[in-house]
Amino acid sequence: MMERMDYLFGTAILVGFFLVGSLLHRVGVPIPGGVLGMLLFYLALSSRLLKPAWVERASTLLLRHMVLLFVPLTVGLMDMGKLLSRQWLAIAASLLISFLAVLLTTGLLGRWLLPAEPDAPAPQTGKAAQGAGR
Amino acid sequence: MSAFSWTGNPVFSIAVTILAYAAALALHRRWKWFSPIVAACLPIVAVLLLLREPYSIYNRGGGFLTWWLGPATVALGFPMHRHGVALRRSLPRLALVVFAGSVVGMTTAGLTAWLLHAPLPVVMSAVPKSVTTPIAIEVCRELNGIPQITIAMVILAGVLGATLGVPILRLARLRDDRVIGAAIGTASHGIGTASLVRRSEMQATVSSWAMAAAGVFTSLLAAALAMLMRW
Repeated sequence: MMERMDYLFGTAILVGFFLVGSLLHRVGVPIPGGVLGMLLFYLALSSRLLKPAWVERASTLLLRHMVLLFVPLTVGLMDMGKLLSRQWLAIAASLLISFLAVLLTTGLLGRWLLPAEPDAPAPQTGKAAQGAGR
Repeated sequence: MSAFSWTGNPVFSIAVTILAYAAALALHRRWKWFSPIVAACLPIVAVLLLLREPYSIYNRGGGFLTWWLGPATVALGFPMHRHGVALRRSLPRLALVVFAGSVVGMTTAGLTAWLLHAPLPVVMSAVPKSVTTPIAIEVCRELNGIPQITIAMVILAGVLGATLGVPILRLARLRDDRVIGAAIGTASHGIGTASLVRRSEMQATVSSWAMAAAGVFTSLLAAALAMLMRW
């Protein structure tokens, strides 16, 4: 096998996981196809069914330009003015207050529960290093 | 209908979108505070209004780009794996943090709208506003909300997180990579996560975990809420 598979092969793998996730969702799993595909993809990488080198380039490319993929949906806000204007105060207040509440709850709770442990950059302990062997 | 027939071609929308995105990235590189998502959307809206092209026509091409969000979401599993070893011990705690954030997000969104006398369907549309679009739409349907309102709120919550999220966290003296990732992923799903990818791999990784967990928790909590309401 080649050291690094090209973009096309990696992209095909990602699309494949997305389709499997979507299929499972259609059959009745209450989690959307993309998220389900992500969890399956993660499991496949962790269990070494997939080699990271096969998908590294394609994943990195898609992630680096993920913002581009959100642009058409966001442009769609231009059509929603009329719908939002009738309840604009309730919607805007709910959005802002709830956004701040989530951000700060998660942030403050995170500072308390997720201390910057030394395991962050490079795992040093024997057990972690074993798991990290790629 | 559009004034020029060639603008109805899907290739036109895709080309305009990529051009606007590339220009937005260049601006972002020059001035850090320029948000790529906002800077890319404004010129597109201007062009559409100028050409009198309705969004539905633009979105024939735009939909091709939106479809790739599926495989891109899958790709988030890659940094999750790469940093999985370093993160594994903190995952149960991260889940707890995200769970608390999701509960707070759903209740504050619903309560605020309710206190301002919004009709029940609008209140219910606000509840799933923190999670990724496909999950939010499903939750909204389950709670008898209005999907279009949910979509708009989800996108706005994402844009808020991508633009103001990190500055607000800084003001609260929250600077740790994991804390930033957890907060942005829980509050602003994929749009927030995408904005972190260029900042730090660790932030984006924790954000991916948080976004996935928030989506799963929110759909489960909403299913419970829907059962309670039917009762």
